[in-house]
Amino acid sequence: MDERETTAVIDRTLAGDPLTTGYPAERELQELTLALSAERPAPDMVFVAELDERVREGFPRVRGNPFARVQGALAARSFGRPPMALMGGVASLLLALLLVVSLTSGSDDDPASTSIVGAGDNASGAREMARPGVDVGEPTPSRRFSRARMDDSISSPLAPVPPRRDGFAPGTRDRRIQRSASLTLAAPADELDSVAADITRITERHRGFVLSSSLTTGDEGATTGGDFELKIPAARLQPALADLAKLGQVRARTQSGEDVTAHFVTAGDRLEAARAERGNLLTRLEQATTDLEAESLRLQLDANAGEINRLHGRIRNLRISTDYATVGVVLEARNGDESAAPGDGLGGALDDALDSLGDSLELAIRILGVLIPLGALAAALAFAARALLRRRRESALS
Amino acid sequence: MDPRLDRSKGVNEAIAEPMPALTQAGKAETFEALYRRTLPRVYAYVAALLHDRATAEDVTALTYERAYRKRRGFSALRGTREAWIFGIARNAALDELRRRKRQAKLEVEPGDLAAPAIDDLADLTVKRETVRAALATLDARERELVALKFMAGLSNSEIARVIGVSESNVGTRLHRTVNKLREACDGRA
Repeated sequence: MDERETTAVIDRTLAGDPLTTGYPAERELQELTLALSAERPAPDMVFVAELDERVREGFPRVRGNPFARVQGALAARSFGRPPMALMGGVASLLLALLLVVSLTSGSDDDPASTSIVGAGDNASGAREMARPGVDVGEPTPSRRFSRARMDDSISSPLAPVPPRRDGFAPGTRDRRIQRSASLTLAAPADELDSVAADITRITERHRGFVLSSSLTTGDEGATTGGDFELKIPAARLQPALADLAKLGQVRARTQSGEDVTAHFVTAGDRLEAARAERGNLLTRLEQATTDLEAESLRLQLDANAGEINRLHGRIRNLRISTDYATVGVVLEARNGDESAAPGDGLGGALDDALDSLGDSLELAIRILGVLIPLGALAAALAFAARALLRRRRESALS
Repeated sequence: MDPRLDRSKGVNEAIAEPMPALTQAGKAETFEALYRRTLPRVYAYVAALLHDRATAEDVTALTYERAYRKRRGFSALRGTREAWIFGIARNAALDELRRRKRQAKLEVEPGDLAAPAIDDLADLTVKRETVRAALATLDARERELVALKFMAGLSNSEIARVIGVSESNVGTRLHRTVNKLREACDGRA
C-alpha cells in the first residue's frame, strides 16, 4: 500500500465508510484508524459550557484591571510574534527619506561653476538676479532642471576664492578679481532703440560708463541689433545685471572672474624695489666724483624712472580692471513668433508641466532606487524572523 | 435598558457577524458556527500535544479568543478555516510547551468510548493497550501528525498548512508513521 492509498483509506474510514473485508492490509489500517480516533480526548462538559458562554459574550475584556486588558490585547496579537514586517517597513521608509533628503541636498551642481545661458528666460532670470544676496553663479533648486537643457552654456569660476595663507595676498579684502559678464538680450524690433537707451541709462545709474556701443540698422533704416561694452563698478555688477536682464528676453548670459591678486602684488613689490633702487642711485649720484661716473648713474636713473612709470601704469590698469567689471551686451530683435515669453501662454504652461513631470520622475526614481533594495532587505529580515520564530516554537517538539 | 443586556446584544451581533470568506456551500460562516464545528477536535489535538486536561482547556480557550480577535484577518487564500484555527491552536500549544520546558507525551487519557466498529469489549481493551503502546514509540512530531490526522480529522492539505510543509510531505510522513504504528502493534501482538 503506497502513500496515496494509505491516505485514501484513512480518510474514507474517518469519514465513516464501512470496513472492508477483502484486503487484510486495508482492513488492518481501517481498524488502526478507528482505534486511533477512539483515543481522541473529549472536553469536559463544564469547560465546554463556560467556553460557550465566553464565545456568546464575544470574549469580553476584563473591566477595571488595566493590566489584564493589556495582557488580553497582547494575547490577541499574533502569538508574541514581533511585527517585523511593519517595523522593517517603517525603518525602510525613514532610511529612504533620509537618503533622499541627503541626495537632493547634496546633488546640487558644482557651486564653483556658473552657467548662465538661458534660451529666453526673461522673467525668472530677472527675478533671480534681482534677489538680494543671490549670486547668479549659485544654482538654485528651481533652476536646476531648466539648466540641464541649456546646451550652449559657458561655465566659469565665480565663487569667492578662499583666502590663501601661503599665497600672495592672504585675506579676501585685498583680493583683486577681474570680472566680466555678457548678456544677449532679445527685444521686439520696434523697441530696440528704447532698450538701447535704457542700457546706457542703467549703466550710468550704477555709476558705470559705456566703453563702446554700436547699433545696426536694416534695409528700412530700423534698428535691428546692437553691441555694447560697459564698465560697471564691480560692487554694482549683480544689481546692474539684474536691471539689464529686465530689459528683454535673456537668451544667453555668462559671467567669469579671474583672480589677478598675484600680478597686483608682484607689480607692487617690484615698484617698491624700483623706488629703493632710485634712492640708491640718487645717493650714489650725489657722491659721484667723476663726470663719467655721474653720467653712468644718470642713465641708470632714466632706466629706473621708465621702470617705475611702467609699473605704475600696470598697477593702475590692474586696479581699474578689477574695480570695474566689463559687461558685454548683445541686443537682438525678437521674431514675431517669439513675442510671448517662454513662461507665458499655452506653450509656457506645457514647458512648465514637462519640467514638473521631469522633476517628479527624477525624484520618484531616486526614491525607488532606495526603497526597492530596502524593501527587499526588510522582507528578507521579516521572512528570516518568521522562520526563526517558527523554529523556536517547533523546538518544543524536538 | 440594562446596559449589560445592551452590551450583550452587541456582542452577540459581533459573533454572529459572518467571517470574511465563504464556506464551501457558498454561505458566510459565523465565528460561533466555526467554534461549534471545531471545538472537540481542537481540544483533542491540544490535549494530545499537552497531555494535561487543565492546560489543554486553557490553551483551547486562548485559541478561540485569539481567533475571535483576529477573525477579520482570516483569508481564504491561505487555507481553510480549519487549517487557520488549528494553526492558532498549534502555536498556542507550542508556546505553552516551550514555556513549561517539558515534552508532551501522547499518553492519551480515557476518551470517547463511543467509538465505532469495535464490537468486543475485551478485544477493545486489548487493542487500546496495543495502540497506546505503539503511540509511545513515536517521536513528538509523529505524535503531532497522528493527533492532527486521527483526532482532529484534518485533510493532508490542511495539515500541511498547519505544520508548514508540503501536502506530499504530509502524505509521506503519514505513511511512514502508520507503518511504524502497525509494526509496533504487530510486535506487541
